[in-house]
Amino acid sequence: MSAAVPQTDPASHAELVTLSIDGVEVRVPKGTLLVEAAKTIHTDIPVYCYHEKLGPAGLCRICLVEIDGMPKLQIACNTVVADGMKVHTRNPRVDDGRRAILEFFLLNHPLDCPICDKGGECDLQDYAMAWGSGSSRMIDPKTSKPKAVDLGPTIVLDEERCIVCQRCVRFDQIITREESLRTEDRAVQTIIATATGKPYVSDFTGNVTELCPVGALTSKTYRFRSRPWDNHRTTTSCTQCSVGCRMHVDERGNTVLRTMSVPEDDALSDSWLCDRGRYNVGFVNDERRLTMPLLKQDGAWVQIDWADALDLWAEKIKAALAAGGPERIGAIGGGRLLNEEALLAAHLHRALGVENLDHRIGTQTLVHHGSFANHVDLENANTIITLGRPPSQLAPVLDLRIRKAVSRNGARLISAGDYAADSFVPETHVTTPAGLKDAIGANPGRVAMIWDGVFFEGGPELTAAMHDLPAATRVDRYVLPETPNGRGAEALGMIPRGAGLGTGAMFAAARDGKLDVLSILGANPVLRYPDRALAEDGLRATPFVVVTDLFLTETAEFANLVLPVCSAFEKSGTTTDLAGDVLPVVGSVRPPDGVLADGDLLVELAERLGVTLPMPDELEAKVRELVKTPPADGAVPAYVRATAAAPGGALRVIADAAIFTGGGTLAFDTAIRELHARPHARINPATARALALADGDPVNVAGDNGTTLYDLVVRVDERVAEGAVALLDGVVRAPLNALGRAPAVRLEKVPVTA
Amino acid sequence: MSTTLITPVLTKGIGELNLREIAVYREQGGYEQLRRAVVELSPKDVADICNGSNLRGRGGAGFPTGRKWSFLPKDAKTRYMVCNCDEAEPGTFKDHMLLEETPHQIIEGILIGAYAIGCDHAYIYIRGEFKRGYEIMRDAVQQARDAGFLGENIFGSGKKLEFTIHRGAGAYICGEETGLLNSLEGKRGEPRLKPPFPAIKGLYGEPTVVNNVETLAYLPYIMRNGPEWFAKVGPERSPGYKVVSISGHVVKPGNYEVPLGTTIRQLIYDCAGGLRPGRTFMGVQPGGGSSACLFEEHLDVSYDFDSVTKAGSMLGSGAMVVFDDTTDFVKAAYTLIRFFSHESCGQCTPCREGGHWIQKTLERILAGGGVDSDVDVIKSAAHQLTGLNLCALGDSIEPFLASVITRYEDQFRAYIKRTPAPAVGAAS
Repeated sequence: MSAAVPQTDPASHAELVTLSIDGVEVRVPKGTLLVEAAKTIHTDIPVYCYHEKLGPAGLCRICLVEIDGMPKLQIACNTVVADGMKVHTRNPRVDDGRRAILEFFLLNHPLDCPICDKGGECDLQDYAMAWGSGSSRMIDPKTSKPKAVDLGPTIVLDEERCIVCQRCVRFDQIITREESLRTEDRAVQTIIATATGKPYVSDFTGNVTELCPVGALTSKTYRFRSRPWDNHRTTTSCTQCSVGCRMHVDERGNTVLRTMSVPEDDALSDSWLCDRGRYNVGFVNDERRLTMPLLKQDGAWVQIDWADALDLWAEKIKAALAAGGPERIGAIGGGRLLNEEALLAAHLHRALGVENLDHRIGTQTLVHHGSFANHVDLENANTIITLGRPPSQLAPVLDLRIRKAVSRNGARLISAGDYAADSFVPETHVTTPAGLKDAIGANPGRVAMIWDGVFFEGGPELTAAMHDLPAATRVDRYVLPETPNGRGAEALGMIPRGAGLGTGAMFAAARDGKLDVLSILGANPVLRYPDRALAEDGLRATPFVVVTDLFLTETAEFANLVLPVCSAFEKSGTTTDLAGDVLPVVGSVRPPDGVLADGDLLVELAERLGVTLPMPDELEAKVRELVKTPPADGAVPAYVRATAAAPGGALRVIADAAIFTGGGTLAFDTAIRELHARPHARINPATARALALADGDPVNVAGDNGTTLYDLVVRVDERVAEGAVALLDGVVRAPLNALGRAPAVRLEKVPVTA
Repeated sequence: MSTTLITPVLTKGIGELNLREIAVYREQGGYEQLRRAVVELSPKDVADICNGSNLRGRGGAGFPTGRKWSFLPKDAKTRYMVCNCDEAEPGTFKDHMLLEETPHQIIEGILIGAYAIGCDHAYIYIRGEFKRGYEIMRDAVQQARDAGFLGENIFGSGKKLEFTIHRGAGAYICGEETGLLNSLEGKRGEPRLKPPFPAIKGLYGEPTVVNNVETLAYLPYIMRNGPEWFAKVGPERSPGYKVVSISGHVVKPGNYEVPLGTTIRQLIYDCAGGLRPGRTFMGVQPGGGSSACLFEEHLDVSYDFDSVTKAGSMLGSGAMVVFDDTTDFVKAAYTLIRFFSHESCGQCTPCREGGHWIQKTLERILAGGGVDSDVDVIKSAAHQLTGLNLCALGDSIEPFLASVITRYEDQFRAYIKRTPAPAVGAAS
C-alpha cells in the first residue's frame, strides 16, 4: 500500500468548488476530500480507516455515499469534490450500504464490550448503535483468535477485536516511517503483526492505541484500569520535553491514569504524543514520593515541618548575606519549573543581589540562539541540518515534523558532527566542513537547523558553510533546551549576569569554599552535570544545600534540606516551548498531603526574607513580555564538548541521549520499567573488530579517572566515528558523568561465567 | 465437430513447430513487426494501428487497449509496460499455453506495446506456479537478447528496450493490476486504492500500462495484417480473435482460438466436442470463475464482450466451464466461494468478512446442518457485498452463486432437508 499523505496546505486551496451535500450548498477548496467537505456542515460521515492525518485508504468501506450520476455507492474518503457534485450521505440506499458494512464488521467481532477498554469511546460501538442490527444473521460461531498478543513493551493486541483498518500500520509507515507494523496472512485471517520475532519498539507506540477505532490495540499502562465515563479529563501541556505537546490528562480517584493527544493540536504535537509524554505518569502516585521536608542531621534524614524548614532556609540565606554577601549564594534549576516559578526564583535571588543563577545543568548555550520559527515551519523546510544529539531523542514529536518534511516535500536531512539524526528518513551524515558544504549544495531552499545547543571543538569550522548560504536563504534555527522549560527559565532570568556564576562555576566555587548556600530547584546535577565528581565535591563543600524535588534523587542525597514539591500534574501556570510560545499547564490531580509547589515555597521564602515578589495577577503579563525578549548578554557557559582523539589507544566518549533516561520521574516510575533505556556502548565496526567485540556483547567501561561503568551492551554502528564510543547520558545505574568531563575510556568484555 | 470455426493466429503452429526456438519463430515472420515498428514507425504510428484494430483487453475487463494507452500523461518521462501473465482465474489456461508454447510472440508483443507507449523498460509478471513457463520465457528472452532484439541499441536503431521477468508467489489477487504492481515492487500483493490509476501512478509511482499476455501477443499480427484485418472480424465493437479455454463436462476440453461472435453453442458443441454421451446441459460459465452461469436459453448468445454482458454474465478472460447434469451446484458454488474467500487479500471489509461468512454457511449446509433461512441469507449476503469493494475480487463472489442458487434452488433446499444428494439427473 502506498503512502497517501493528506494535503492540508492552505496555499494550494485558493480555488473554491461548489457542491451540494444533502441539499446543502457547500463551498470548499478545490482538492478537498468529500469526507472533509461534509465536516464543514457538521455532517457526520462514519469512518474507520480514514484519518485526517493519514489520508484515505479505502479499506473499511463504511463512508459510503451516493453521488448523482455514479451507478455505485462511492467512498467519501477517496472522492475529491467537484463542481456541481450532488452528494447524499443519508438515504435508504446509503443506509443499506452502511448497514451491510456494519453487519460484516460485527460478524466476527467479539461481544466483549463490557470488559473492553474502548467501550464508551469506540467508533464501532457508536456506529453499530446507528446502523447495526440488534442480532446477527450469522448462526455459525464467530472466528476465535488470540485475545492478548504481546506486540512489544507497551502494546497488547486483541486479534478478535481488530477490524483491520490498518490505521496503526499506516501510522507506522506514513508518520513515523519506522515500518515495524504490518499486516500478516490474508483473507479473514489477516492480522496486524510485527516482522517475525521482533517486538513493536518505537518511541511513538501509544498513538496507535488512540488511532485504533476499536479496542484491539491497548496500552499496558491503561489496559483494564478504567472506563472513559469514570475518568475526569483535563487539558494541559506536556512538560516532559520542550515541544510542549497539548495533552489530555485522564484522572480517576486522584490518580493520573493516562494521557491522550489532542487531535486539534496542529501547531505543536500535530496530534501525536511520544511514549515518554504518554506513559511516564506512574511516578505521580509512586509511594516513594516525598511528603515532608527532610533535614539531614548527623548523616540521617529527619522529618521536620514546613515552617521550620522554610525558617531554616531563610536563616541560612540571611546568615550568608550577612557574613559574605550575595556572591556566597547560588541557585540552580528552573528548567523543570513553570514559567511563573522560574520568574519568582530569579526575582527573589536578584532582589537579594544574587547573580549566581543558572537553569542549565548540562552545558548548553542560550536557547535564544534559536529563532522564533515555529514547529510547523520545520515541516516546510527543504534542507534540514541537525547538529548535536538527535532531535528524535531530545524532542521526539518535533522529529516527526522532520519525517513529514521528507515525506511530503522531499526535504533533505543532513546531520553534521558526531551524531546522526536517527530520524528514519534518508540522511546524509557529514563530519567535515567540505562535506557539509557539499551536502547543502547550491540550492538549499528553505533551511532549518536544529541544534542541541552544546558547543563542541571544531564546531565553528564545521558549520562554516552556514555562513555561505545564498543571501536570500531563509534559515530557521531551533535550539533544543536540555530541560522542558529551559527557554522559559532562561528568558525569566535563571541565567548568570555580570559576574554571576553558571552551574559549573558554582560547583567549582563551592568546592573552593566560596559558597554558603546553594538552592537546587527541581534539578538533578549529580546525574546530569558532565563532571559528576565536581558536582559532588561542590555540594559536599557547601555548608547548606537545599533541594526541591519529588523524590530523594542522586542530588537530593547531598542536600542538608530536601523540600517535597508538586509534579506538573499538580499545579497550574505556564511553560515555554522551544519556539518561545507560552503554553498553559493545568493541574489535574491534588498533590499528596503536605506537598507544596516550588512557587509556593518561593513565596514563603520571600516573605521571610522581606522580598516583595510580583503579584500573581502581574505574573502572566511579565512572563509573556520576558519570553519574547532575548537576554541582555551572552552568558555562554565555558563548556565545550571534546571531540579530540583520546590518547594511547583509549576511546573518546560521545554522550548519547535517549528519551527514557533520567533519575527522577523516570527512575521512580515502575510501571514502565521495561522502557528504561539499557545503557549501551555504541562503537564503529572497525573499533569493534579491533577490540574483538560483537553487537550484543556485555562490556564494562573503564574511565581514565578510575571509575568503571559496569554491564553495558555493545551496539555496533557505523555512524559512530572510529576511536570513539557513544555512551548514554543520564542512566542511574551507569552514570556517564561519573567518568569525568572529557574521559578516555577502555572497553572490557565481561567474561561469561559458566 | 466443425473445424472451420477455429482460426489459429496466436495458436498457429502449436503442436507442430517448436516455436520456443527463436529461429523457428523468425521463419514464421517473427520479430519482423518489432523491427518495423522500431526502425520504420513512430510510437504514435504503432498506437494508431492498435487503435484502428479496436483490440480490447483479453485479460478480463475487455477495455479497449488503445484507449488504455492514451491515458498516460503526455509529458511523463518514465513509463512502464507490464505484461500480466498471472493467469489464475478458475477455468482459464490460455496464457499458460501461450507462455509455454510461443514465448517469442509474447516478447514481441510486449516490446511493440512498450515501444508504442514510449517505455524503455517492460516487465512480465509470471504466475508463481508457472515454473516451466518461466524457464521457457527466461530462455526465450536470452535468445532475443542475443539476437539484439532487446537491450541497448535494438535493431541498431540506437533505441533501448529493457525487459525484466518477475515471478509471482502464488496469489490470485496479484492478477489484479494494482495488486500485481505492488507485488512487482516487492510489497504485499494488495490492490491499491484508485484513483490514482496506474496510467497516472503505477509501477514505482510512474505512469504504467498493464496488459494481458494475449492482448499483447495479437499486436505483431495486427501490425502485419493491418488493423482492418482484425477490426472486421466479428462484432464491430468487440472484434477480432480470442483464445477460449473450454473445460468442464465436455468431450474435448482445451484452448480454441475463434473469431469473437461465434456462439456459445458452437464453442461447446463444434469446438469442444459437446457433452459426454447421454448427458444433459445444465449451464456454462462463459468467463471464468467470476462470471455468472448461463443456461440453455443462452446457448445461441454471440460470444463477444457486449453480448455476453447483455445476457447477464461476462466474457471475462474467455474461460468456459461447462456443467452437465452430474453437477452438484452446491458443491460447485462452495468450491468457487472457498476459492474467492481464501484468495481475498483481506484489506477491505465486504470481501474479507462476507466471503468467509458465505463459505462457512455453505460448509455447514454441505455437512448437513443447513437451516431454511440459509438460502436467503446467502443470497442476501452475496448481494450486499457486491459493489462495495476496493477491487473486483469481492464483486466476483456473487455472480455464479446467485445465478445457480436462483436456477437450482432445489439442490440447495435438498441439502437443507437432508435428503440424499440430488446430483445425478435430479434437476427437473
